Amino acid sequence: MTNYLATFHTHLASLKTHRSLTAAGIAARMAPVPRKISSSCGTCVFYSADDPCYGMLDADVEAVYLLKEEHDAELLREFE
Amino acid sequence: MKKEGFFKKYWLVLLTGFVVGVAALLLQKLGNPGNMGFCIACFERDIAGALGLHTAGAKVAEDAISVGNLAYFRPEIIGILLGSMLMAICTKEFKGKGGSSPVLRFFLGAGVMIGALVFLGCPLRMVIRIGGGDPNALIGLGGFIVGILIGVFFLKKGFTLNRAYKQSSLEGAAFPITTAIMGLLCLLGIIGLMTAEGVKPGGSRAPWYIAIIAGLIVGALGQKSRFCMVGGVRDAVMFKEFGLIAGFGMVILTVLAGNAILGNFGETYKGFKLVGQPIASADWLWNFLGMAIVGWGSALLGGCPLRQLVLAGEGNSDSAITVIGMIAGAALAHNFKLASGASTLADDGTVTGGSTPNGHIAVIAILVLLAIVSVVCTFCKKKEKAEQ
Repeated sequence: MTNYLATFHTHLASLKTHRSLTAAGIAARMAPVPRKISSSCGTCVFYSADDPCYGMLDADVEAVYLLKEEHDAELLREFE
Repeated sequence: MKKEGFFKKYWLVLLTGFVVGVAALLLQKLGNPGNMGFCIACFERDIAGALGLHTAGAKVAEDAISVGNLAYFRPEIIGILLGSMLMAICTKEFKGKGGSSPVLRFFLGAGVMIGALVFLGCPLRMVIRIGGGDPNALIGLGGFIVGILIGVFFLKKGFTLNRAYKQSSLEGAAFPITTAIMGLLCLLGIIGLMTAEGVKPGGSRAPWYIAIIAGLIVGALGQKSRFCMVGGVRDAVMFKEFGLIAGFGMVILTVLAGNAILGNFGETYKGFKLVGQPIASADWLWNFLGMAIVGWGSALLGGCPLRQLVLAGEGNSDSAITVIGMIAGAALAHNFKLASGASTLADDGTVTGGSTPNGHIAVIAILVLLAIVSVVCTFCKKKEKAEQ
């Protein structure tokens, strides 16, 4: 199981992603975007899964990060 | 990511709150109006006056265009925009970005400003007033929190102003740079409205170079810490995150302690009476509703007036449009007598000033408009998406 963090262009997109991940039985929680990740004050979704679940993320996803054990997040993929 | 301790995680927000509090005390000491060391709404209102968009407090004189005493291109605003911009450039976070319902944001900004001018202060001045011993501001705080909670309700239900897109750096820089150039030209006296002889525009003010430095520091720290009066309550309610709200509390504590140390309570403290506080309306209902508008509107916009300035500085053109809406709202508020005046007690015991009948109508109308925008952007958006 790997920990991921997804950021979004809108709060609604993070809300919808949180709902679909939770409905699929994936442990997910919403939170303000960590300052290290972005200067914007939007919301993000932390989730734990075997893969980044790109197909389950809302179309307004901004980026997905891989969360490492001790330190910061590593950018996995940036979306348009 | 590794869990961090509260102070380690939020020290920058707490530092920003402290610095904002100290800057407010210092600027008041050096000449800014009472309990108004720092107020984004009031300062943008003064900028609207400096540009001739309203003539609040104007004195009519022959052979000259008279400008009001609320006409001064407040250097604090220039400082915040440039401070945020410079910090964002240094940390490679300056990005042109926008296109998220700009027209709605313009009107929401105007509505927030009118609500703020009925209360007589933005959320930042509200906490500075609380720290200055003004009980009217506590009533305003109640309205502010209720407003944010209404906004959060709609956010949880799916409110959205739609996404922003990448834009050019020029688009992102246009507002802060233009404002800074115009402001500096005004301050240096190169451009500006003619003033009638004997009329000193702008009212009370700290020396402009100190005001601009204070703005630069607050803008830079605001960018780095994401300091926001609305975000604090939103994060606490939605996510049980208390970092930003601690910054909010830090401003109150700093100003409270500072006023006590400086002996300001001796001059301005009126034994917790509602009437007679510096530049404050004592109409509790309209103070409550005015700040409810500010809380609700700012929650929908995603940030308080200070945060909008900081975001505009880091290239967010949606926030720039919001600030322009606020300046337009300030002009409307004074041209149509929506803004409140200070409540004062006359010798015969009558109270003058306070909120205006036009202001009451505007507050109710804006609350209705906020409800319409909230409902449409929450429930009708889902339908639109489903149909696509």
